[in-house]
This record gives sequence, C-alpha cells and structure tokens, in this order.
Amino acid sequence: MLGALIYLDHAAATPLDEKVLAAMQPYFSDAFFNPSSPYAAAIEVRKKYESAKATLAATFGAKADEVVITAGATESINLAIHSSSGHIVTSSIEHHAVLAAAAEHDYTLVQPTEKGSITPDAVRAALRPDTTLVSIQLANNELGTIQPLRDIAEMIRDERAKRAEVGNNTPLLLHSDASQGFGHIDVHVARLGVDLLTLNAGKMYGPKAVGLLWAKPGVLLKAQIVGGGQERGLRSGTENVAGVIGFAKAASLADSHRRTEAERLSGLRDTLQAALVEAFPEAIVSGSTKKRLPNFLHISFPGIDGERLVFMLETKGICVATGSACAANKGTRSHVLTAIGLAPEVADGSLRITLGRLTTAGQIDRAIQEISSAVSAEQSRMNLS
Amino acid sequence: MSGGVDSSLTAALLKEQGHEVVGVYMKNWTQDLPGMRCPWAEDLADAKRVAVQLGIDFRVFDFETEYRDKVVQYMIDEYKRGHTPNPDIMCNQEVKFTLFLETALEQGADAIATGHYAATKEGKLLQAADTNKDQTYFLYRVSGKALASTLFPLGEYTKPEVRAMAEERGLYTAGKKDSQGICFVGQIGIREFLSQYVETKPGDIVDIQSEKIVGKHDGAIFYTLGQRHGLDVGGGLPYYVVSKDMDKNIVYVTTNLNDESLWQTQLTLASVHWINDAPNENQTYQVRIRHRAPLVDCTVRGNTITLSEAQRAVTPGQSAVMYDGAICLGGGIVV
Repeated sequence: MLGALIYLDHAAATPLDEKVLAAMQPYFSDAFFNPSSPYAAAIEVRKKYESAKATLAATFGAKADEVVITAGATESINLAIHSSSGHIVTSSIEHHAVLAAAAEHDYTLVQPTEKGSITPDAVRAALRPDTTLVSIQLANNELGTIQPLRDIAEMIRDERAKRAEVGNNTPLLLHSDASQGFGHIDVHVARLGVDLLTLNAGKMYGPKAVGLLWAKPGVLLKAQIVGGGQERGLRSGTENVAGVIGFAKAASLADSHRRTEAERLSGLRDTLQAALVEAFPEAIVSGSTKKRLPNFLHISFPGIDGERLVFMLETKGICVATGSACAANKGTRSHVLTAIGLAPEVADGSLRITLGRLTTAGQIDRAIQEISSAVSAEQSRMNLS
Repeated sequence: MSGGVDSSLTAALLKEQGHEVVGVYMKNWTQDLPGMRCPWAEDLADAKRVAVQLGIDFRVFDFETEYRDKVVQYMIDEYKRGHTPNPDIMCNQEVKFTLFLETALEQGADAIATGHYAATKEGKLLQAADTNKDQTYFLYRVSGKALASTLFPLGEYTKPEVRAMAEERGLYTAGKKDSQGICFVGQIGIREFLSQYVETKPGDIVDIQSEKIVGKHDGAIFYTLGQRHGLDVGGGLPYYVVSKDMDKNIVYVTTNLNDESLWQTQLTLASVHWINDAPNENQTYQVRIRHRAPLVDCTVRGNTITLSEAQRAVTPGQSAVMYDGAICLGGGIVV
C-alpha cells in the first residue's frame, strides 16, 4: 500500500484500513441516500447509520444517542469547549485546537511536569469556584505521554462534592481529547471518569475529517453549527454516512487489535529507542517512558537540526516528524517542548517517531540505520562528534 | 536561497567551485492576502531541503520589518502619488544588497551570491548571457562596492540551461515553477494588494481630447500610463491612459495612439544612481525604460536623458536604466 516507504508518523495520520474502505464503499454510490429522506431506501441507510453509531459508541462504553458526529477532532473540541459558560482549566501541552478554543474564554493553563505529565494536584490548584470545564488530553500528541486521567477525574469528583457542601452548584465537567491513544490504550468513558470525550477517525485507520464528541447524559451542549437539526440539533448538516460507517469499523478493529498491537509496537519502539540511545549516548528521550503510548518515541539529538534530519530521511524513503521548530509550523518552537522545559538546542534537534499497524521489524532495522547515518553525517558536518 | 530553482543551482555551483557555502533564506514577507496564501513556509522548506541535499549550512535572516518599511511602504507611497513604482529594484537596493550583504559579512562571509541573471567584473555590473532573462534592470541601484562582494554564478547561463543543470544534479527544486511578478505579491494582482493599504474611490475616465467622461474607474492609482487593457470603457477604438490627476481622481485617456503626450524623447530622472562613474555627456549610450524593453540610443546631461527616437508610455515611477554596451551604468527614476 505504501510501497517502499517507511512511514513512521502515525500520530499525524494513519492510512485507511482496507476493511474500513470496503465497509464505506457502498455508501458513496449505491446507498447514497440522505438518511432524512422518507422512502424505504433512505430509511435503510438511516438504520445502517444509527447502527454504526451504536457500534462506534460501544467501543468506548457509550450509547449512540450520547454521541455527536463531527467533521473531526478539532470540531469536537470546539463544541465541547464552547459549550462551557464559565472558567476553563486546561494544560499548556494540549493540541492547538484546545488551546485556541480555550483562549476565547476565561481560562487557566496548567503546566506539565518535566516528564510531560499533568498532575491532579496541578489541575486542582488551577480550579476556581466558577470553573465549569477541565480539558486534559488522554495522551500528548508530541511526546505520547499518557495523562493520569482517572486520577484527575477522581479529584474532580471530590471537588464537586466540596462544591455541593458549600452550596456552589456550578457544574464542573471533565473533557478529554482522546484522539491520540484510542487503539493503543483502554478508552472507556466510565472507567476514565470523563464527562466529555473527543475521538478522531483519522487517527485510528479510519477516514479523515470524521470525529465525535461524546457527552454524558445530562451534559448540555451548545450547537456551534446550526441548520437542519441533525445529530439531535447539536450538529446540523446531512449525516456523513460513509464516514460514520468507516469510523465504526475502524474503532471496532482498533479495539479488537489493541492488546496484541500495543505489545508488538512497544517492542519495536523499545528496539528503536535502545539502538539510537546506544549509538548516540547524548540523545535525550523526552516525556515519561513509563506512561507512554506504545507507538511513540520522542528523541532529541542536541545541537542537530531535527528538520534537516527529516529532509535527509525523506530522501531515503523514511517519513518522520520533527519534534519541534520546522518550516511547516512556521518556524515556531513546539509549545509542548517549551512547556516541559527542554532547552532550545535540544528541542530543535528532536524527532517524533510514531509507529503503526504497517510497521515491521525490518522497517525498524532500516530506520535505525538511516537515522543513525543521518545523525552521524550532521554531527561530522558540524564537527560535533 | 529563495526555494526556487535559480538560487538552488547557484548554491550547487558555488559548492562545486570549491567555496564554503552557507545557504540563507531571507524572510521578507509572510502575510496571506485575500485570495492568495503566502507560500513562504513551503519556500523556506524547499530552500532548506536543497541546502540539506548539498550538505551546506543553512540560516534564516528575518528582514520582515525592514522589508515592510523600506520596500512595501515605498511602493504604497509611490502608487498614492500616481506613480508606478518597481518594488523589485527597491528590494535589491535596500534589502538584498544592503541588509543581506551587511548581515552576511558580519556573520563571517567573504562574499554573497544570488541567483540573479547578471554578471560582475571588478565592481562593474554586466548584462547576463541570456539577454531574455537579464536582470540588470532590477540591479542598477546597487553600489559598486556591494557588487565587488557579490557573485552571480548564473550570469553565463540561459534559463533552460539552469533548469537542465538543476535536473542533472537532482536538485529538489529543479521542476519548481518560477515565481511571478513582484516577489511578495506573487500570483495576486497588484490591485488586490493595494486595496489592503490604500483607500480608493471610483472616479471618472475622461477623454483628453473631447474632455467627455467616457467611463468609470475604481481608483486612479490602479492605472498605468500607456495602459490599454482593463479600462471599463465600452465600444469603438481602444483607449490608452495618457495621464492621471491624483487630486481630482481622474484618469485621462485617448484613442489616439500617436497622442503626443504618450510619446517622449526626453526623460527627467530623480534619485539618479551611478554604479561606478557618472557617464560622459558627449557619448552615446543605451537606455531601457522598463524591464525587457528594447535598448534605445541616448545621451545624458545631468539628470536628463535624450532619446534617439521617441518612446511610448514612459511611466513615472519606473526606472530608466543606462548601458554602455554590456555594462549597466545605473540610472534613475522617471519623473
């Protein structure tokens, strides 16, 4: 499918699974009907749509009518955040969608530990009596650090109880952007203890530009896109039937492969990390290595320009992301790396390598060779070694 | 290195000639404009890709503020005065051969090089071998001193040769389309750009002979002397812009292509700049009144140029650039 390409940027995008594509295919042409139309053929499509939504919701312990389908995680995040009417607490290492949406409200940013973790205590310290929403990602999209969401949820339950005691009936909700993580770790709304959850099909081998926001029953959302009243009036626009069919299939597949795939990928990732750290003892692996998504490696080669490595590797057919400043993000240093206190010369020398379903042991061996020779070449060019 | 094929090959040739080369991207303009996304980030990435390919160091010089102050503001002011300025000339004078040169020298460079189609010899500016691509018109305001520290490795090649050489070397940008027109305005019309900065009012288009209103324009600044197209005037013979009254916001036109106000044999120049020595008053030289215009014999006395034959639509704000054969002497801005 990807030919000779060694694709190691699964945190950016995942290829559509062939089974997902097959499931979606009929809904582009044969079963193209508008699910709101009154005739039998359209009603059949409506049924398929609703049933896919139920399948999708079940993969994370929810029900179809608690889910709002959106055009991606960014929209889901906007819907969650703009539904809040009070003060918002989030972290400085969230995705730009969260940071930009929160910035339109009264908000406070919680700083991470140097391992990229957001502690319940740090979140608690930022809460105010008028805080209505806390938004913390499930896993960081640059480091792969898994956040202690259950502990944060527990802390929030305590805070709610304290509010009740003092007669403060301001609601306090917990939203999590779980775009990174689904298919790698357990994502179940009750076990996580969240009130709102964002997911993205495009990060789990499903179609791009399809996402969802789950809201616990009783949580009120404010529609951001109005019109024909689809999705219970919370997101108007003709249903993306093929997208949701694909999303449901992708989520089911990701869920069923989760344990074996997590084990396989963490093994490959550990091999990659060990080899690079052995070859370059000065290399720095960022983020927690204990609480980390199994497919993530964020590694810095101090003094080297990560973007140069990316350009060298692309000529060898290897796709990786820069961990920080690059022309693509307009030359600004990563807000995540700045927040965890990485020195600029370390941050600028980083790569984000994210493995996925198509990654093989052979590919990792090639990647080790090519990354090592690129780093060595740069070091000798700059007389660093 | 702009991320285009010319500066990419320039870097490659310098490296092959044995120089120690540092690639520099000048960040001059990053703003999107209505209907046009500024591709600076892609251009920067392309420039850097080529630097990586060549194994040379790469830096970014940020001149956004200076570019806005010295080039964009100049351009806007000139248009407001009813002139048709040439921002590329100003960019070379103020940014590339002043700021960039100075910064490069400060950072330890012995010389700078650009992908211009031109040549230098002992501080003199010479036309490129590819007369169709020759860019000396845009370089006439550069000082002889700056040229003494400048290399133009592409001067001896034609554009097709440059592309072929870039392809031979497998340069990442070998197949990249040339950017067009004013560097930062790119594909967008100057009209859309100016509309962002200058308030324009519709006004009358008046026939200079009959003094009758023959149409409406959407802002006198948008019109250039000699311009035929884009006039919202219906029917009959084509009209040409002969003059503009910026205070009254009137554009004067004529159907008479031989209207004497369209033809000039004498040019008065402002901001005269000679690269080396001033030309002799009793010698015949050649002059070019816009990029790619044919060279016309002339003599010069002070800031007045006398043409051997009348030229149509000599546009205030554009430059008259003088040559002594292949040598570009300098010139001035048409008043």
